[in-house]
Amino acid sequence: MNAPTAAVRLRGTQNADGGWGYFPGKQSWLEPTFYAAIALQGEPAADRAWTLLKSWQAPDGGWRPSADVQVPTWSTSLCVSLAQSRGEFGEPFQKGVSWLLSSAGNEAPLWWRILLKTKLVGESDRDLRYIGWPWKPNSASWVEPTAHAIIALKQASLKVSSAKLWDRVRTGESHLMDVRCTDGGWNVGNRSARAQDLIAYPETTAIALLGLQGHKDLDKSLDLAARMARDTISPLARAWLTIALKIYGADVPPSAVQTTSSPETMIAALSLIAEEKAQFFHTGATT
Amino acid sequence: MSPNRREFLAVAGASVFAGYAGFAGAPPKRHPLNTTPHVSVIRAKSYTDDLVSRILEGVKQCGLNVRGQRVLLKPNLVEFDAQTCVNTDVAVVAAALEAFRSLGAAEVGIGEGPGHRRDTYAIAEMTRYRGEVPNFDAVFTDLNRDDVSPIQGFADRGEIYLPNTALRADLIVSLAKMKTHHWAGATLSMKNFFGVVPGSVYGWPKNELHQVGIDESIVELNRIFRRTFAIVDGIVGMEGNGPIQGTPKQVGVLVMGADLPSVDATCCRIMGIDPAKIDYLTMAAERGLGVIDEARVEQRGETIKSVATKFELISEFKQIRLV
Repeated sequence: MNAPTAAVRLRGTQNADGGWGYFPGKQSWLEPTFYAAIALQGEPAADRAWTLLKSWQAPDGGWRPSADVQVPTWSTSLCVSLAQSRGEFGEPFQKGVSWLLSSAGNEAPLWWRILLKTKLVGESDRDLRYIGWPWKPNSASWVEPTAHAIIALKQASLKVSSAKLWDRVRTGESHLMDVRCTDGGWNVGNRSARAQDLIAYPETTAIALLGLQGHKDLDKSLDLAARMARDTISPLARAWLTIALKIYGADVPPSAVQTTSSPETMIAALSLIAEEKAQFFHTGATT
Repeated sequence: MSPNRREFLAVAGASVFAGYAGFAGAPPKRHPLNTTPHVSVIRAKSYTDDLVSRILEGVKQCGLNVRGQRVLLKPNLVEFDAQTCVNTDVAVVAAALEAFRSLGAAEVGIGEGPGHRRDTYAIAEMTRYRGEVPNFDAVFTDLNRDDVSPIQGFADRGEIYLPNTALRADLIVSLAKMKTHHWAGATLSMKNFFGVVPGSVYGWPKNELHQVGIDESIVELNRIFRRTFAIVDGIVGMEGNGPIQGTPKQVGVLVMGADLPSVDATCCRIMGIDPAKIDYLTMAAERGLGVIDEARVEQRGETIKSVATKFELISEFKQIRLV
C-alpha cells in the first residue's frame, strides 16, 4: 500500500472518539491509534487521537491499551514517544517516563532462579542479570516491549536527566543482545528452546535494531534485515524493516515477492510511516 | 519463561467459577459426571480425502446438534511455513466450515490469535487459509485484535480479558493439531485455547499464561469456555520437539468429541502417551471438566489400538510414555 492510499484509508476510518481500531469499524485501541497519529501528524485527526490517548493514562503514569482494559501495559512507551514528538513535556510525559523506569521484566520466580543456579533444571537461555521490559506487569522481558521502551527513553533523555534512565537503557540493550539468535536476528525473546536454536522473525528483528541504534556489532543483524526485507510477504514486516534500514542509512532492497494485502489499520499506518516518516523512530542518543 | 508452576499455585476452588460477565448464555458448568462422553476416531489417510464426510460422520457419532447456533472454528495457526506440520491443515478448516454450515449452524466463523507472529493475515496467506477457505477474510476474526471483555477469576489473577467473538459464540470448535509439546507434554484441543487470549492485551507471546502456569492456564481457559467441541487434526501430527520444531508424524485420523479432556486423553493414547501423566488432563478431570479414564469413555469409530502409533518424545518427557 502506498502512502497516499494509506493516508486516505486512515482519514476515512477514524472512530468518533478520535481513535482507530485494529480494523475499521472496531473499537479504538492505543496501538493502531498511535501509528495512525504518527502517520497523520500535523493534521487535526492526529490531535484528536492524542486527546483520546491522554485520557487513557492511568493515575500511576502508565497507559492502558484501550478504554475497556484497565491494566497499563508496554504501550506506555508509544505514548511517551508520541508526546515528545509533539513537543509536549508536561505531566503525562513525565509520569509516563517514570512508569517506564519502574516497569521491569519478571524473568522467573526466585525458586526457579535458585534451581537454575544448581543446574538441576538445565540452563536458561537468558542471562538473568539483564532485565528488559514486559508486555504487561508481572511477566518476563520480551524483545518488542524492551525495544520500544529503549526508543522512548532514549528520545526522552533529551528532556529527562536521570542516571537511572541510562542504566535501564544500557541494561535493556544488553538484554536485547543477549537474546539475539545465532542467525543475527531476533525471535520474540528467546534464542533457543530446549537447546534448539530458534529462527529470527523479521518484524522483531527490525524493532530490536531500532532499539539498538548506536550499538556496536550489528552488521550481521543488518545484513539479515536486508535479506528479510527482500523476501518477506508480510507488509507489517516489510514496513518495520524499511524503517529500521532507513534509520541505519542502509539500502532498502526491492521486494522479491508480492506482499500480501491486509485489512489492518496499523499496517496501513506503518506502510505510510515507512515511506515518509521513518525518522520518527530515530533516537539520536547512544549509550 | 516460567516453567510449570502448578505446584506453587493455589488450586482454584468451585467458588471462583465465573460466568461470562455481560454475556447472555449458559454459565460454565461442571461436567455431569454421571454421563459417558463419546469420542469418535475417524480414519482419514490424507488431506485430499473427503474430509467433510469424515467430520460429519464424527459429529453424528458424538450426537452434536448445532442447528441455529453461532459456531466459531478455532484452528491452531502458528507459523508461516506451509511445508511444516505446525498448523492445523487448511483442508481440515475448510471442511469443518462446510460441514457445520451443512448442519444448519446460523453462523460459522473462524477465529485465531497466533502466539508469536504479529501479522496474522500474512500467516493465513502463507498457510493457504486465505486461498483455500472460501471468502476467508469475511469469516475470519483475528482474536489477537478483537474487542475484549474482562472475565472475573483466572487462576491467581483477578481477571482475564478475552475476545468478544469467542465469548459470544454458542459453540467453539477447537480444530487442534495432534502434537507433542516441549513444556506440557502434548498440545491438543484443550491447549489450543491459548490462541483465544488476545495479544493486544498480553503480548506476543502470551507470557502471562506461562507466568500463571501452562497447565493451570489450560484448565482455566477450558473452565471458562464450556460450550465446546473438538476436532483434532491427526492426519499428520508432530512428534519430537513440538509444538514448533518437531517433525511430521503420519497418523491418519481425526479425533472428535464434546468432552475435551476425553478427546485429548484419547489422542494421547493414540500417540503412545499416558494421559494420566499429562498434568493439565489430570487437573481437568479432578476439577470436573471432563473424563480421562479410558473405561469411562465410549469410543466410537476406530479403536485406539487400530490407529495407535508412538510419537517420538524428547528426553525430558520420556516418563510420560504409555506402557
